Amino acid sequence: MDLYIQIALIVLAPFIGGLVYGIERVVKARMQRRIGPPILQPFYDFFKLADKRKMIVHSTHAFLGIMHFFSLWFALAVLLLGGDFILVIFLHLLSTALLILAGYSTRSIFSHLGANRTAVSVLAYEPILILVAVSVYMLTGSFDVSSIFSYDEPLLVKMPLAFLALLLILPIKLKKSPFDVAEAHQEITGGVELEYSGIFYEAIYTAKWIDEIFCYTLVYLFGANNPLIGLGLVLFAFVFVNALDNSSARVSYKQMLRFSLTIALPIAFINLLLAIFQQVL
Amino acid sequence: MVPFISSLFLLPVIVSGLVLILPKNLSRVLVIATAVILSALSLYLFIAIDQPLKFSAPEYFNQVVVAADFLLLLFFAWVAIKRKSLLVGLMTLLQLGASIYLFKNPGSENTVQFYVDKLSLFMFLLINVISSIICIFSLKYIDEEDCSNFRKKYFLSILFWFIAAMNLVVSSDNLEYFFLFFELTTLASFLLIAFRKDEISVRNALTALWMNQIGGLAILATIFFINYNGYGEATFTNLLAHAGTTTILLPLALLSIAALIKGAQMPFSKWLLGAMVAPTPVSALLHSSTMVKIAPFIILRLSPALQGTPVAWVIIALTGFVFAASAIGALSQDNFKRILAHSTIALLALMIMMAAVGTQVTIIAALTLILFHGISKCMLFLNAGVLERVFHFKQASDMDRLAESGPFTSFLVAIGFMSLLLPPFGAFIGKWFSIETLGSLAVTQRILGALVIVLIAFGGAVLSLLYFKVIGLIIARKGEHDKLKFEHTSPYYNVTLNILLAFVIAGVIGFPFLITDYFIPVASQTLGQEIVMTTTGLTMHIGQMSLPIIPLIIAFLLLPVTIVLALFVRFKNVDRAKEYACGEKVNYSFSTMYFSTDKATPYFTAVGILFFIALLVVVLI
Amino acid sequence: MNFKSYRKKSPWILHYNAGSCNGCDIEILACLAPKYDIERFGMINTGNPKQSDILLVTGPVTKRSRERLVEIYAQMPEPKVVISCGACASTGGVFRGMYNCEGGIDQYIPVDVYVCGCGCRPEQIIDGVVQALGILDKKTKELEESVKLKKQPLKEEGQLNRREIAAEIKTA
Repeated sequence: MDLYIQIALIVLAPFIGGLVYGIERVVKARMQRRIGPPILQPFYDFFKLADKRKMIVHSTHAFLGIMHFFSLWFALAVLLLGGDFILVIFLHLLSTALLILAGYSTRSIFSHLGANRTAVSVLAYEPILILVAVSVYMLTGSFDVSSIFSYDEPLLVKMPLAFLALLLILPIKLKKSPFDVAEAHQEITGGVELEYSGIFYEAIYTAKWIDEIFCYTLVYLFGANNPLIGLGLVLFAFVFVNALDNSSARVSYKQMLRFSLTIALPIAFINLLLAIFQQVL
Repeated sequence: MVPFISSLFLLPVIVSGLVLILPKNLSRVLVIATAVILSALSLYLFIAIDQPLKFSAPEYFNQVVVAADFLLLLFFAWVAIKRKSLLVGLMTLLQLGASIYLFKNPGSENTVQFYVDKLSLFMFLLINVISSIICIFSLKYIDEEDCSNFRKKYFLSILFWFIAAMNLVVSSDNLEYFFLFFELTTLASFLLIAFRKDEISVRNALTALWMNQIGGLAILATIFFINYNGYGEATFTNLLAHAGTTTILLPLALLSIAALIKGAQMPFSKWLLGAMVAPTPVSALLHSSTMVKIAPFIILRLSPALQGTPVAWVIIALTGFVFAASAIGALSQDNFKRILAHSTIALLALMIMMAAVGTQVTIIAALTLILFHGISKCMLFLNAGVLERVFHFKQASDMDRLAESGPFTSFLVAIGFMSLLLPPFGAFIGKWFSIETLGSLAVTQRILGALVIVLIAFGGAVLSLLYFKVIGLIIARKGEHDKLKFEHTSPYYNVTLNILLAFVIAGVIGFPFLITDYFIPVASQTLGQEIVMTTTGLTMHIGQMSLPIIPLIIAFLLLPVTIVLALFVRFKNVDRAKEYACGEKVNYSFSTMYFSTDKATPYFTAVGILFFIALLVVVLI
Repeated sequence: MNFKSYRKKSPWILHYNAGSCNGCDIEILACLAPKYDIERFGMINTGNPKQSDILLVTGPVTKRSRERLVEIYAQMPEPKVVISCGACASTGGVFRGMYNCEGGIDQYIPVDVYVCGCGCRPEQIIDGVVQALGILDKKTKELEESVKLKKQPLKEEGQLNRREIAAEIKTA
C-alpha cells in the first residue's frame, strides 16, 4: 500500500474507529428492533466528556490510561506500516498491559477484578495470535505484514483454519459476549474503565475504537491483495461478532480459558501444521 | 595474558582466605578493592584477547586436582553420614567409584587443560562483575544476619571461593578439571544453602547436593566413555573436533544431562526452588546470575557439534515444555523469591533452547538473554534482599505497602520486572528472536518445531501475565499524597542497586553497539563462522532476522518510560475522587490472583523424567 | 470550542434505587427497552457515577441508603442533574412518615426535576429527562454539594480533594 494512504489511515484511525463504533451501535440496536443512536454519537460523547469537570482517582491511574491509548495507537501504526507481525502482537499485548496495570493501581474492587480478568483473557487470545503469525511466516517466508500484500493468493484460500481461529477469539479481544468477562458491565460495572471520568475516560473510550480498527485490520489481512475479499471478510466478521454479542450470555473466565485453549488453540495448531507441510520455503 | 587469567583464578582464592582472618573494616576494604580489580580485569581481558587461548597448568597442578577431587568426595561422604542422607551417600559412592577407576586408568597425558575463547571471556565478564556487585551488597546484608561473627566471615569467604570456582569452570577444557570445578560449585551451593542451619535449609541443601551430584556423575560418565572408546583427550575441543559422527552423541547427551540438571530443568527443578531459603545474596549469585548459567554455557560450547542432532531435538522439546510448565508454576507462588526462581527456570529453558538450535541468530539470542537476564535477575534478587531487610516482608501480597513507603525501591522492582518483559530491553529482544527463529526451525523439523512454537507462545503469555501481576502489586496506591518521600537505605544497598540500574539503562541505550561489538564476536567464535550484520536504513539485519530500530525507540518511550513516569507523575488542577464501591465507605485491602497448580505438578515431573530417558534412548537409535 | 452544546446530545444516566418498591425501577428500565428506546437520544445506562450526567433516583430514602446516596452524588463530576422519579422520591409517596424512611431525596441532595406518578410512566420519565437536559445546559462546572451530610473538600496544592465530601451519619 502507498505510504501516504498508510499515514493517512494511521492519523485518521480514531475517526474511522469512531464511525465504526457508531455504526456498530446502530446495527446492534436494529438487531434488537430499536432505532439506536445517530451514527456520529461517539463523537458527541467525545465532546461531552471533554466538557466535564476533571476528576481522577490518582495520577498514576489516569496517566496509565492515557498511555494505554497512545501505545495502542502506536501498535496500530506499526501494523498499518507493514512492520513485523510478532512485534505488533507484542506491542498490542503491552498496551493491554498498561491497562491492566492501571486497573491494579487503584484500591477499587471492581477495577481489580477487571484487571484480573483482563489479564486472564490476554492468556486466552495471545498464543493463538502468535500461532497465526507463524503460520503466515510459513506461507510467505517473512514475518513482515507487508509481505502478505506481496503474496499472490489471498491468505483465506491457503489458511481457512487460521481465519476460523481468529474469528473465534475476536469476541475475546473486542470484549463482546460471550467472552466479555473483562468488562462485564452488569457484573463488575465495567471493570478497569470504572474509575475513569471525563476526558480521561475518553482516552479509554477512544482506545476501544482503535482496538476495533486493529482487529478488523487483522481480519482484512486475510484477503490482502483483493480488496473485495478483504472488505467482505471484515463485514462478515463485523456482523458475526455483533450478532453473537446480541444473542449470547456471558461465560465465566474459566470457561473462556477452557474454550480458547481446547478449541481455538488446537485449530490454530492444526493450521500451523498444515502450513508447515505445504510451505513454499 | 596467561598471568592475568590465572590471577582471575587465584585472586578470589587468596581473598577468600584473607577475609576469614582479617578484622571487619580491613576486610570490607579488601572486598571492595577485589571487586573493582576483578571487574576491571575481566573487562580488560575481554577487550584484549581476540583469538582463543589454550594453555596448560604447571606440572604439579594435576596432582593438586586429583587430591582436591578425593578430598571433596570424602567431604560429601562425611556429609552423607552426618546428615543420614541416603541419596547423597549413594551418589557419592558412585562418584568415588568412578573417580578411582579413572585415576587408575588415565586417558592420554599432556592434555591442554585450559581453553579461553570469547565465550569464556563473555562469561568471565558476567561472572566477575555481577559477583563483585553481590559481594559488596552482602557486606551489609550479612552484617544484619543473626549469627556469629565468624560465620559472617565464613559467608563472604565462600562467596569468593565460589567466584574462583566459576572462573575456573568456564575456562577449563579438560573434562576432569571441569568435573572438579563443577563439583566445587555444587559444594559452594550446598554450604551456602545450609548457611542458616535450620531444618528446612539443611534439607533443601541436601536435595541440591544429590541432584547436582547426578550432574557430576554424568560428566564422569562422559570421561569414562571417551577413554573407553579411545577418542583421545577428554576435552571439549576434542569433542567438537569429532562433530558429525554418531558415536559422539552419547557424550553430548551425558553432558547435556549435566547442563540440564545444573539449570534446574524439570524434573530436577526442586533444588532451585528449595534453594530460596538461603540468604538473598546466595539466591542472587548462585541461583540466578552465575551458577545456573553454566547450563546454557555448556550447551553453547557444544553447539557446533550439537546442532541438528537428535539430542538437540530432545533438548529443544524438553526445554520448551519446561518453559511453559514453570511459567504456570510461577502463577501459584506467593513468596517473592520463589516467583523469581520459577521465572529463572523458565528463562533458562529458553536460553538452553536457543543454544541447542544453534543457528547464528539463536546463538546471539541466547547470549543476549544470558547477559540481560543475569543483570535483571540480580537486580530483582537484591531488591528482594532490600525488601526483606528494610521493609521486613517476604510475600508478594504484602507488597502493597511499598508504593507509599518506598517509592524508589518500588521503582527498582518495577524496572527489574519490566526489563524482563518490555521492549527494548534485552530479554524482550531475546524472546522475540526466539519466536522468529523457531519458525525457521519448523521448516526442517516440522512437528517438533510446531509443538515448540505452541509451548513458547503459551509460556510467553503466561510469563507476561505473571509479570503484570507482580508489577500491578507494586503500583497499587492508596490515594495521593503529593510529597514523594524517598526512603533511606544503607549505601551498600543503594550503590549496588544503582550500579545495576545503570547497567540496565546502558543496555537499552547501547544495544545496537552491544550487538556489533559484543555479541557478534562471541557468537562468531562459538559457532566457528563469521556472522555478518548489515544495516539498511534504520534496520539491522543479521542472517534472516531484522531489527527495526525506530519502532523500538518509540516502544521504549511508550512502555517502560511510561510506567516509570506513572509512578512519579502528578496532575495539577484536577479533582481527586474516591473509588466507586457502590457507595460503600469500607476500606479494602488487596492481594492478587493465584492459580493452584498442585494437581499438575506430578504430571510435569513425570513428563520431565520421560524426556530425560528419551535423551539417553535417542542416542541408541 | 463550544462544547456546551454537546451536553444535550449525549447524556449518560445513572440509576439509583434508594429503597423503592422497584415499580419505578422497572419503568426506568423499560425506557431502555425497544418500545421507548431512549438510546436514540444517545443515553446509555452507565453503572457508575464517574461517567454519568443524570442521576435518576427512585424510592423514599431509607436509613440504609442515605449515606450511599450522598456518596454517589459526590462522585459524579459536574455538570450534573438529579431527577427524582416517582412519588416516593419526590415526597415520600405512600411511605411518608414511616419510621424507616426520610421522605423525599431533596432533603439530602439538590433535585432539579421531579417526575410524579406512583409508578411513573416511561413517557413521563422521558419528558422529565428532556426538561433536565435543558437545565443541564445552563449549569456550570462548579462543585455542587449535597444538602445534608456534607464535608468541605480538602484543598491540597493545586487541586481539590473530594474524596471525603460525603459525611457519615454519627450514630450515638
